[in-house]
Amino acid sequence: MSNTSLVFTPSFIKNPSQNGLGRYVCQLQRVVLKFCKNNGSSRGMREFIEEELVDYARSNPGVVVYLKPRRHRGPVISAEYLNGDKQWINCRNFTKVEIFKWLNLLKTQQGDTTGLRFRKLWHTEMPSIQGPWTPYTFRPSSLNLISFPNEDLSKAPEEESATDKLIELYKKQRISES
Amino acid sequence: MTSLLRNIFPKFTCMLKSRTVPKKLLPNITPLNFFSNVPSPTPYEIVDQNEKNSERELIKSDIIRKITEKVQNEGEPLFAVVHVAGKQFKITRGDIIVIEGYWPPDAGDKISLDKVMIVGAKDFSIIGKPLIQNGLVRVDATVIEKTVSHTKTHFKKKRRKQYKRINFYRIPQTKLQINTIRFVGEINNPPDVSEVKTRSIK
Repeated sequence: MSNTSLVFTPSFIKNPSQNGLGRYVCQLQRVVLKFCKNNGSSRGMREFIEEELVDYARSNPGVVVYLKPRRHRGPVISAEYLNGDKQWINCRNFTKVEIFKWLNLLKTQQGDTTGLRFRKLWHTEMPSIQGPWTPYTFRPSSLNLISFPNEDLSKAPEEESATDKLIELYKKQRISES
Repeated sequence: MTSLLRNIFPKFTCMLKSRTVPKKLLPNITPLNFFSNVPSPTPYEIVDQNEKNSERELIKSDIIRKITEKVQNEGEPLFAVVHVAGKQFKITRGDIIVIEGYWPPDAGDKISLDKVMIVGAKDFSIIGKPLIQNGLVRVDATVIEKTVSHTKTHFKKKRRKQYKRINFYRIPQTKLQINTIRFVGEINNPPDVSEVKTRSIK
């Protein structure tokens, strides 16, 4: 799959507020649920508001929840984060469960990441602690004691010559024949 | 190949051998400054591998003592390779890693990563087989974000077969902030009976 998309902006992982270095702060500040009181596309949203909204608001005291009924308009969740991001989700024909899931996702997010593609899934301030690898790293340190030129190191590796191989083959043939 | 050469051109190879080899075979190594945290190459000691066993034991204990001393220093930067949710990550303090796929921890959870495979500092590394001694190192992390990836496209098409399918999907992602990596146990001295003190989530 290619990443040359015009839709997504390539970016790197950021944590400018250093959230989680000390304590963790929920970044979602405000949620506005917009819905229609009559239209069928808002049915799931209305059910959510009737049955689960109070529990959601109670379990997340840091998040302000607003309701905004409006006639003949589609249901929408609008979320505002601590860093100023504003995210907008169209909830047309969503069920109660789907809306609950989206609200939970908004709660755990740091900001609006729609339209962002992470180029790397790793961020570090210190890319290497032991330094870059060189051909001399992890070699036996006894090599340092050797003085050059060294006859042992510079001689050709011992391997069977072509003549030796032929002689060996000839011997084998003779054994099999006899 | 060399033996073949030797057989065919014995004289030529002799000439090669008799040529004087320059005394300075190794190139000059200047301190590498690719990384700002590596001002000079790591100092090393010469260890002869053909030494007797007792001497090697002595060296081993000496190495362990030196590592233990190093580890006492809180400012010593450590790195670790941890195994989380089926993947291995190389991390240091302050890193942010992203774990892809379904993973239960929720945003704000403080967890410790127990499957440590390698831990090291500037001049030593402890390598596990495959994990290092349980309770030796503690890697603390905080889940800072649970989100979904950008929309990925799965498109397949077969030519001349009137077949085309397109699917869109997003992968759940969990961002982890690594808080600390520190030694809590004693090197090369594991407890006789290991007891499960912490719970790790796969």
